[in-house]
Amino acid sequence: MQKYSKIGISYFKGQYLPHLAVTLLFCLLSVCFVSFRNLELMQSAKILEMYVSLAGIFLMTPLLMPEQNVEIWQLEKSKATPMWQIYLVRLLLSSVLVAFVYTAFSLALEINDSAFLWDKMWICGISELFLLGAIGFAVSAITNQVVIGYMIAVIYYVANIGGRKYFGGLALFQMMEGKYDFAGRMFAVGIAVIVLSILIRERQK
Amino acid sequence: MFGALFGKECKQILKSLVYYFYILVLALFLSTQLKNPDWIEEIEGPKPNQEHYGMKETHDKNVIMGHTLASLTEEIGRESFSTYPYGFYKGVAPTKDELATMKKIIESCTGKSWDRILEEQEKYYEQFDMTDMSSSIMASENYQVKPREDLTYADFQKNMERVTKIIGKGSYYEKESYESGATVPMSYEEALKEYETMRKHDRVTGAYMRLFCDYAGIMLAFLPMFLGVTRCLRDQRAVAMQVIHAKSVSSAKIILSRYLANVFMAFLPVVLIGFILQLPYCYYAHTLGFQPDYFAFLTYPIVWLLPEIMVVMSLAFLITEMTDKIFVVFIQIFWMLAEEFTTVSLAGHFGMRLALRWNTIGATQDYLAQRQDLYWNRSIYTVIAVLLIAFCVVIYEKKRKEGESLYAKIFKNRH
Repeated sequence: MQKYSKIGISYFKGQYLPHLAVTLLFCLLSVCFVSFRNLELMQSAKILEMYVSLAGIFLMTPLLMPEQNVEIWQLEKSKATPMWQIYLVRLLLSSVLVAFVYTAFSLALEINDSAFLWDKMWICGISELFLLGAIGFAVSAITNQVVIGYMIAVIYYVANIGGRKYFGGLALFQMMEGKYDFAGRMFAVGIAVIVLSILIRERQK
Repeated sequence: MFGALFGKECKQILKSLVYYFYILVLALFLSTQLKNPDWIEEIEGPKPNQEHYGMKETHDKNVIMGHTLASLTEEIGRESFSTYPYGFYKGVAPTKDELATMKKIIESCTGKSWDRILEEQEKYYEQFDMTDMSSSIMASENYQVKPREDLTYADFQKNMERVTKIIGKGSYYEKESYESGATVPMSYEEALKEYETMRKHDRVTGAYMRLFCDYAGIMLAFLPMFLGVTRCLRDQRAVAMQVIHAKSVSSAKIILSRYLANVFMAFLPVVLIGFILQLPYCYYAHTLGFQPDYFAFLTYPIVWLLPEIMVVMSLAFLITEMTDKIFVVFIQIFWMLAEEFTTVSLAGHFGMRLALRWNTIGATQDYLAQRQDLYWNRSIYTVIAVLLIAFCVVIYEKKRKEGESLYAKIFKNRH
């Protein structure tokens, strides 16, 4: 257990802090663009799905940034700890932070007398952040280029703004239409995409 | 030397996976968004006795007052006001006292009691079939509450300021919002005149290319950034920075050859896609009996989209060279979001927007009236792009001499 906590702390302090700082800035700047007061349900959903969901991309896509340097990747591979365990520690860390950021925004809405359904919107919103982050993570894992991970995740988000009908059950912004039955689907696909991408990555030489 | 560097950079870009994603996303997006067959009807021109000929903007003060008071009447009736304080929708529910104050404002502007205004509103809507969508939209668009004859525009503006103080920022009752032009329905003669202007000036393909630039601009507000970031970080990935830094070629040549190659390669697919999508409209122009503007696929993107690509690319280069990190991704996404959610009009009102919107086919007279603003906007962004890349050259030169970026200098002692 000590080994894994050392892996997490080392990554957090050495690599992750700048990304966390940017996410924090993103959260703080939200007050310039978003009103949290007296919002109806659909308005709350819009803020959570169209603004907060981007935090998933910022927190999960850069998890493989150190391994972009192939020499570092090979050095890590030569160690006793399997790479998937290192990735898992980082994924768990980022997932906790994703839930934390989303919960903070949910509380901000509730404190400001906006409508928010804890039993439905909390888990659904986190699933959307997780899916976006999983897409970014998976693409950067397979290509070993974090930039492409960001690119595909952002394109997925933008494409959903005008072309949601093409994404079926995995379309974003479903809470804005009053739908709350997609959380399980998004978590399942997100996890599957992450697992598959790690398997593909580990087979690469 | 510069030409050789430029050629090498272009060849490098052709080997990049990011570039092919860029082309694929652009092509998919534009081909799916620009395939509406109904646009052909607008190009074919209006016919007599049509139910609707579209709307036109007017800056007639009486019409502006009529539409604004109508909007205020409806929102007071719903006891809810739509505002967009920072681009996001926020519904404001005034208190009873605030509603009473606003009713008095309406009564003062119209010279009628609130109950009389409601009666007239009911009589107006009885003329329309409100269960039919197009009829209800037309009813809503044409509804006006006439101001009293002796109401001056200055008094009207003062009253709207009072309303804004009650509701808050971002409402329709702010001067910039209600003065952006009310719309009134076009008559057959006006629609015909608009069509003739479109034929003479746009020659069909020009009108289509404005729509093309509208959609392409949405994607080009952030997509080229990924090309720029990838290029700037490539030296780091290849561990080639020290080799490059030791060469005698100037920083200006290195950065400019990379920058211009990336701008060129980012712009090329835009022009090619525009050419392909324009082809059917060249054919339609011939079937309607006149000569299309064959070069619209080039002239419009050069003026409309190229400055956008330049500024996005130069910002990507500058921030990435300064930090050796991908922070520009966050900046550009934020900029793109801010623009998307603060859009006041989908056609025109260019201001200092990065992605210029013209989400309609035609509206040529409106476009000609706003064309100067477009030229100003694009000229300013071109200057900004040049300044950013010049600053990038300075940063790169400093990095070469000192061996590390500004970000690395600040954070180098952190493990």
